[in-house]
Amino acid sequence: MMCSEREAQLNEYVDGTLAAEARALVETHLAGCAGCRAAVAELRSLVDGARGLPRAIEPASELWTGIAGRIGKGERGKGKRWWRGALAAAAALIIGFAVYRLLPSSAVFHGPEVDGWAAAQIDYARATDELAGALALERDWLEPATVALLERNLGVIDAALRESRDALTRDPGNVELRALFAAAARQKVELLRWATRAAT
Amino acid sequence: MQADPSDLIQRAQQGDQAAFEALYRAHVGRVYALCLRLTADAVRAEELTQDAFVRAWERLASFRGESAFSSWLYRLTVNVVFLSQRAGRRRALRVFTTDDPAALERPADGSGMAGAQLDLERAIAALPPGAREVFVLHDVEGYRHHEIAGLTGIAVGTSKAQLFRARRLLREALSR
Repeated sequence: MMCSEREAQLNEYVDGTLAAEARALVETHLAGCAGCRAAVAELRSLVDGARGLPRAIEPASELWTGIAGRIGKGERGKGKRWWRGALAAAAALIIGFAVYRLLPSSAVFHGPEVDGWAAAQIDYARATDELAGALALERDWLEPATVALLERNLGVIDAALRESRDALTRDPGNVELRALFAAAARQKVELLRWATRAAT
Repeated sequence: MQADPSDLIQRAQQGDQAAFEALYRAHVGRVYALCLRLTADAVRAEELTQDAFVRAWERLASFRGESAFSSWLYRLTVNVVFLSQRAGRRRALRVFTTDDPAALERPADGSGMAGAQLDLERAIAALPPGAREVFVLHDVEGYRHHEIAGLTGIAVGTSKAQLFRARRLLREALSR
């Protein structure tokens, strides 16, 4: 039985990703621990087995006919893109709702709404995570210069969001701070929506 | 790894479907294996294989030869699989380990798969999705954690945690 607290270390040891000092410590431990030695042998066998699996498996069906039909019709993936538009729209809706909750609902502000603020933070995080996740999958299709510009702009917006969030932690009912956070959040979601559209 | 004659790629880039079919024939086994292992669903893997080649056709103009065509195509395939999953196309899993073991008995070289390999394939297919995806990308396909993070949108630490979990579950499954 492996020493459970060493699982990550032993995996990294097998992968050869430990620094020399950490590697030496593991080897010292292995010299006196039969359970971990056995675990390392099993891990190596597993990794070797995975690398030795067939690289290719032929599909049971002939797939080319379907592919030829689709590319012959000049399909440009329009049918496959619906979800990306839907994702962007859903994210925009969520962020719109979150921003709405951040702002006073009328000319009269009824004071701090910490619950609403926490909920808005969750909405905002969900929307941006979804868009950022979609962008991460598609970013390879953007020009490198566009990616660099995008990352610079996202960095600026994230810094503004962090500052607003920190300030709001100290003064959660401050309407101006909420408006600043809302503006930065809206900018971020707009930028991410633009980038996901550009990449797809 | 099989080299692609550059003229085939160039002809396909110019719209020559026969050239693209030749590229398909050369790579379909590898693309399908990747889809099959990532999804553990033979039917879904066939759909995704078709999607990947249609996507490759659409994107051929963006292939500039900076990497091998095969690397470009397999990366694109991983993108297609993860985009599909992110889209939330929830379908009942038709796990081939129990329903269609024959799906794994058709390696491209026709030599058949050894018993230990079949056991491993079945154990991989039975992993939870997140652990399976990282294991396939890291230990089968040879991607590194930072590449997996870039491909899937998960953090490097999450990729490592999922890999270690997958290996633990596989060791348990294979020792039974």
